[in-house]
Amino acid sequence: MGTEARRRASRLASLPFERAGSANGSAVSGFASAVREAWSHRELLDLLIRRELKARYKDSSLGFLWSLIRPLVMLAIYYFAIGKILGAERGIPQFAIFVFSGLTLWGLFSEIISGGTMSILSNAGLIKKVYLPREIFPLASTGSAMFNFAVQLVVLIFATVVLLQIPWQIEILYAPLAILVVAVFGIAFSLFLSAVNVYLRDVQYLVEVSLLIGFWISPIVYSFGFVVDALGRAGLPGWVTEIYLANPITIAILAFQKAFWIAGSTPEAGAIYPEHLGLRLVVMIIVGLLCVWGAQRVFSRLQGNFAQEI
Amino acid sequence: MSTVSAAPDVIHINDVSKRFVIRKDKSLKERIVNFRRSNMHKDDFWALRDVSISITAGTTIGLLGANGSGKSTLLKVIGGIIEPSSGFVERRGRLAALLELGAGFHPDLTGRENVYLNASILGLSKQETDEYFQSIVDFSEISEFIDTQVKFYSSGMYVRLAFAIAVHVDPDILLVDEVLAVGDEPFQEKCMAKIREFQREGRTIVFVSHAASQIAELCDRVVVLSHGNIIFDGETEPGIAALRDSFGSH
Repeated sequence: MGTEARRRASRLASLPFERAGSANGSAVSGFASAVREAWSHRELLDLLIRRELKARYKDSSLGFLWSLIRPLVMLAIYYFAIGKILGAERGIPQFAIFVFSGLTLWGLFSEIISGGTMSILSNAGLIKKVYLPREIFPLASTGSAMFNFAVQLVVLIFATVVLLQIPWQIEILYAPLAILVVAVFGIAFSLFLSAVNVYLRDVQYLVEVSLLIGFWISPIVYSFGFVVDALGRAGLPGWVTEIYLANPITIAILAFQKAFWIAGSTPEAGAIYPEHLGLRLVVMIIVGLLCVWGAQRVFSRLQGNFAQEI
Repeated sequence: MSTVSAAPDVIHINDVSKRFVIRKDKSLKERIVNFRRSNMHKDDFWALRDVSISITAGTTIGLLGANGSGKSTLLKVIGGIIEPSSGFVERRGRLAALLELGAGFHPDLTGRENVYLNASILGLSKQETDEYFQSIVDFSEISEFIDTQVKFYSSGMYVRLAFAIAVHVDPDILLVDEVLAVGDEPFQEKCMAKIREFQREGRTIVFVSHAASQIAELCDRVVVLSHGNIIFDGETEPGIAALRDSFGSH
């Protein structure tokens, strides 16, 4: 036995034994160790996010611009079809900024969910051959969605400058909270859905449909004021509005609009927002974190058989 | 000899069993339609049955068996890729699994980008990869294509780069599954030389191969599996004989 071999043997003798695979653990310690493991792989997470962004538009000549063209086309469609033709812009000054702020945040949520749901399946090659904490795959698609969102956010801010609607106001502080709500729920859903999708491939189609519904039940192309009016006209009691507001994405979008759409806050426009918006955001973040915990527990139960089910 | 017997164990496999359940109905519709007869649409078999092995540091151990005997499953259980149905595996030291070369390669990224990505997947930090980068490229002998997208690589170049990364990870335990049968002859020899160097350095190698000659050349212990059970554990030559016998039982 050479000296190097002897040195290695004595070093190994001093190491403790560890269980192979991911520690399932109890409800609390299992979650904590998953977070630690994901954190220790943050360099890899960063590389995976870059890989996803680089690979997406690698061989197209417009490349990265495509991630802007889609939301801008959607903006144009909603602006003309719904704003001008259906007349939704009546009562909503600066309709373009209103729609675009909603679209941007919704785009973040829908990209996290749709990318996250597919993240385990699309990394099948790695999952079958290498042991990694599998949580990093949904996290990586969350990361790449965040990057695209950041680019759109720059466009949104640029638009507010061009239209002289700069959101230089204290309400801008709602924006980071709103993004946090979306990110936390996005991570929770994509952890859960990506794991379930391995066993039941219908999930990915179900997600597509649900996102379509989700878009229209959130106040993105219409304002919250319209909802209150409509519910009032139908003579429905107040708790129906509360059910509408139980959707965390709705709260996040309202807060995001409050942050960026200053034309709505002028006395003559008088856009309606739910009461205690800040408190609602904080509650949603806490609920969202609990959902992340729950989703991770489900994920860790299901991931043991990923390698053979894919 | 006393130093050899003092070598510590690095892998404990404790009563590991793995039961595969194969569901034939993947979609929601099929599950609902077949809900009552759900059990008829399940097939299960034991890929591993009460397998217990201890492996000491510095040994090269070959897993042998006919197709479907459970050897690759056992390797994946050791690597933590598959969770056993019962029992557990304990190990210590850094592990690298060469179950498929270039598993983490992305075809649209360049060789350089893939080196960083794959090294990170195998557990190297960015700083360590920076240090080894030149040596990885030299070992792979493809330096002029390092900035080309790997989808344009020939399969040989692909494997060279992947193997070069894997051997630079500095593993204490190396899991190898059939991957050495690739590449041209000079490169295969280079791989074998690297494996022998690993043996001298006291690394533990767990090997799955069908090539009896390779096993006879490299391993100092073999474990023969048949239908998920260990039927032989010991010296190489009787092990290969036991393998030949096990083919008869199929």
